[in-house]
Amino acid sequence: MAEESVGERNRSNAFVVSARKRALQKVAKKAGEGMLFSVAFFVAVIVLFIFYFVARDAIPFFQIRGFSEFFTSSNWYPADEPGEFGALAIIYGSLMVTLGSAMIAVPMGVAAAICLSDILPFSIRQYAKPVIEMLAAIPSVAFGFFALVVLAPLMQDHGGPMLMWGWWILVSPFLLLSVIVISDLLTANIKDEKRRQQRHWMLLIVLGLSSIFLLFKVGSVLNGIQILTGTNALNVSIILSFMALPTIVSVSEDALQAVGRDIREGSYALGATRAETIIKTILPAASSGILAAVILGIMRALGETMVVWMASGNSSHIPEPWFNYLEAIRTLTATIAGDMGEADQVTGSARFHVLFAMGLLLLIISFISNLVSERIVVRQRKILSGQ
Amino acid sequence: MIKKLLLLGFFFSCAVTGTANAEGKALVLDGSTTVGPVAKSFATYFTKKYGVRVMVSESGSGNGAKSLINGSCTIAAMSRAMKDAEIAAARKKGVNPVAHVVALDGLAMVVHPGNPVRSLSKAQISSIYRGAITNWKEVGGVNSRIVVIQRESNSGTQESFKELVIGKGVQMTGNAETQSSNGSVKSRVSTTLSAIGFLGLGFVDSSVRVIAVNGVLPSVKTVKDGTYPVSRPLYFYTNGQPAGAVKQFIDLSKTVEGKGMISELGFVNR
Amino acid sequence: MNIGTRKILDRSFTAVGIGSIVVMALALMIVVVPIVYNGIGAVFFTGTVEHRKMLHAEFKRGDSQDLSSEVASSNRYRAKVYDMLTGFEADLETMAPEKKAEYQAKYSQVRTALQALLGPLPGDPEPMLTRFKYGQTRWEKAEEKLHDLLYESKWDNSNPNVMSKEYFVSRAIGFEGTSLARLFPYIKDNLENMLLPEFTFYWGFITDSSVDSHFFGGIWPEIQGTFFLAIGAMLFAFPLGVVAAVYFTEYAKPGFLNSMLRSANSTLAGVPSIVFGMFGLAFFINTMKVSESKSVIAGALTLAIMILPTIIRAAEEAILAVPKTYREASLSLGSTKWNTIATVILPAALPGILTGGVISLGRAAGETAPIIFTAAVSVGSAIGLADVFSSPTPALSWNIYNLASEHEAATQIRHVQYGMVLALVTIVLLLNLSAIVLRARISKKLKG
Repeated sequence: MAEESVGERNRSNAFVVSARKRALQKVAKKAGEGMLFSVAFFVAVIVLFIFYFVARDAIPFFQIRGFSEFFTSSNWYPADEPGEFGALAIIYGSLMVTLGSAMIAVPMGVAAAICLSDILPFSIRQYAKPVIEMLAAIPSVAFGFFALVVLAPLMQDHGGPMLMWGWWILVSPFLLLSVIVISDLLTANIKDEKRRQQRHWMLLIVLGLSSIFLLFKVGSVLNGIQILTGTNALNVSIILSFMALPTIVSVSEDALQAVGRDIREGSYALGATRAETIIKTILPAASSGILAAVILGIMRALGETMVVWMASGNSSHIPEPWFNYLEAIRTLTATIAGDMGEADQVTGSARFHVLFAMGLLLLIISFISNLVSERIVVRQRKILSGQ
Repeated sequence: MIKKLLLLGFFFSCAVTGTANAEGKALVLDGSTTVGPVAKSFATYFTKKYGVRVMVSESGSGNGAKSLINGSCTIAAMSRAMKDAEIAAARKKGVNPVAHVVALDGLAMVVHPGNPVRSLSKAQISSIYRGAITNWKEVGGVNSRIVVIQRESNSGTQESFKELVIGKGVQMTGNAETQSSNGSVKSRVSTTLSAIGFLGLGFVDSSVRVIAVNGVLPSVKTVKDGTYPVSRPLYFYTNGQPAGAVKQFIDLSKTVEGKGMISELGFVNR
Repeated sequence: MNIGTRKILDRSFTAVGIGSIVVMALALMIVVVPIVYNGIGAVFFTGTVEHRKMLHAEFKRGDSQDLSSEVASSNRYRAKVYDMLTGFEADLETMAPEKKAEYQAKYSQVRTALQALLGPLPGDPEPMLTRFKYGQTRWEKAEEKLHDLLYESKWDNSNPNVMSKEYFVSRAIGFEGTSLARLFPYIKDNLENMLLPEFTFYWGFITDSSVDSHFFGGIWPEIQGTFFLAIGAMLFAFPLGVVAAVYFTEYAKPGFLNSMLRSANSTLAGVPSIVFGMFGLAFFINTMKVSESKSVIAGALTLAIMILPTIIRAAEEAILAVPKTYREASLSLGSTKWNTIATVILPAALPGILTGGVISLGRAAGETAPIIFTAAVSVGSAIGLADVFSSPTPALSWNIYNLASEHEAATQIRHVQYGMVLALVTIVLLLNLSAIVLRARISKKLKG
């Protein structure tokens, strides 16, 4: 009897609860969605916070010292009394290694991406992709350690021969190729077949010999170079290019894949070779995506800290001559990492705020290039989908 | 498979918590890389003897001062005296920095062992670091560009060097390479034929050649009696007069063991 | 262009592409091989009796009976060296003053070299620092030190136009005619008997803490710190990231607000890592005061912000990859959207989400710049879980930097640095490898 009544009560309660539950559910749903939104919004809040906190400490610097010194002077003496805060040489150093790494990574990365998407069979691609991902996963401090402990002494001891071999290995195939192409192009208009052949061979021999002479001449000049310091812009550029490569390859491969099969097949049908198809039709179609990849890769190099801090030499001057990659340089990121130690936030000195000004500069550059690359990708998607 | 992963994670967290052992409040030291070896050796010894954990971070004298002012370290290791501005800032925050001299240190001028230059005058060194002399030929060496190596601007060694050799308010050459620590200056100089740099005496070993300044080589004797022109005291700064474990730690430098460690590390006892 | 040239161009184009992939693989090899090769040397090496002495004294490891018999046998050979030294010291006393002074200088160099090789000599005061308490613990280092003992390095500066060249002079010649001359051939022949090198597998490198600022011992505090930081970052970032991804894929309506949120996400992904460090310092430590100073929690929070966009992106992709049919089936059975997400979509997407999480874990473990100002110290013991809110920690990434470029004897402890780099690279690559395997299995499963 007692048990029954308990059962009854429970049942009636259950009914009431389920009625309430529905209302509750509605509220919970709204609340849940609201919570989801607020979490997603949290990301935006973080970005705003980052901008706010970096800018908050950067602005006092410009109030104290103005803009012109920071951007136009290369006298960096933050510890002097009174200090000098010309960041031109440091900005220049950052640009220099970024450009250097882009010069290595962009051609290689794009070529590798083309190869992955259009040339290699699927079975090989399966193994190539993890290699690229591994390269991307290696921590920057490991790269920095390698640059400092392995590459720098190597450059210092065998700099000349290394440059020479690098020049030969990298340049000779291209030079010989261009000799073949140029001699072909120059003789293409000659109608008489026999004369054309003669001319062609003559040109081939003359150009070939002169290019070999050039190879050896430049090679021997490079061989004679003595690298005074192994921690220099070239070292850093090479390592940074390793780090930028995976980004460039994977993003530009996506862009290439997005170009439809029909375009490729159309080109083949017109009798184009694979190289012609890729260069004349696919690359132009994917160009904006590749540009976005390049921007992202460059940003990776510009924002990298540990490698440049460990292996760039940290010397704040503009090299002489300005393109001398064999001198030590100093970058924005390394300056922040190295000088933050002195940040006497208590007195609010220009010394502390100038580092935040550098951080703000990096932040703005990365923000703009992100926006640009995003726009580019969106636009490409629109064009490709035919809108 | 997910279960496996979770299991793995569980084991892992067990392994990690297994080693957890919280015991007392740790001493935190921050500051100069020059004082770093002394601080680290003291820390190891202190932890072993008294069971108090000691954390040492070497981020530069300036950073040490800042950490003390912010209350984020108990002892600031510095290779220069605190500046007036820093002391004023500390007072404003209610921190009362007290200096304790741990040891003396000679700033050794070092070159690559292959460099035939054996001695430089203070004026010559000053000219090299101001950029007035750029080739070893000008100071009696071989015909090679001088690779000038200096320290990060937050380094007490750098400031002492400027004060003792170049003079306040004089600018160093922008061509000088910057290294973040004594150790990296040493390894740069030992691998670069035409380099010149300066180190705390404790860091000198056979991989670099110490050159005489004004004809005097740095050594325990010349630093102690002041004939070597480039030397300075090394400090531990505390907030107020130290007590308890902090006092024990600082007083290590007065014990036989502490003195032994200091002299084994190549510094000079007071 | 004629057809031959076009063909050549086509081939060479292919060659360039393949070449650049090969160069990338080579780059990976060139970086990884020396790290692996030298890093393994931190754990597997030819250790001397000094190493076993050190292990026994510092970590109470090893059999004391075996050790004492080894020490006894090595001491038998060493005793002869010490006898020669005392004999020569006695001879020194009887020499003419100027000769004595000449030999004294050379003799002190010999003593220093011997101390480096065999540890403190009889009569030396007991060293305070552990690094001076033992001779060479590694055989390859002992061989270097043997060279230092046998030969004196001199610099030839006969040519004033070039830097001097190093050359070596045998020390034995310098002591010709004295009782010490016998020392050098004796040590050369009997070094193995004195140091008893044998193959050593020092697993303690992973589990021990360091002794005397990384001269001896292992890297456990660093490994532990790295895990604390990475897992701490995951604890914050993973739930947030997944929830945000659910919002973006299931609830977000296209519009200005949504595109702004997405831009914010990709902006966050592009922020340089050092700026995260500055932000962590300015926000978590100076403004929020999550801890008085550097601490694990501040570092983990900073890292969490850094990996958040990666997790969001990976989770989004995983959720979008769940076939539409799953969702439709669930909805048609009358379950709510919320229920569908929680019971159908998320479980189906979980492996993909985990893949992204594992990769981000690797990234958090490897980053250095964000923790410089927020969490890392160069020397410290392993910390307990209770200390993460107040205590900074050593971490692999930061300590690699610290040991390689700030340590006072960076060149002497290269093996420790390589060991650390290898440990870090292994952790990160293993995480990535497991992600790759995980992904391969998912794609197999999805294919059926």
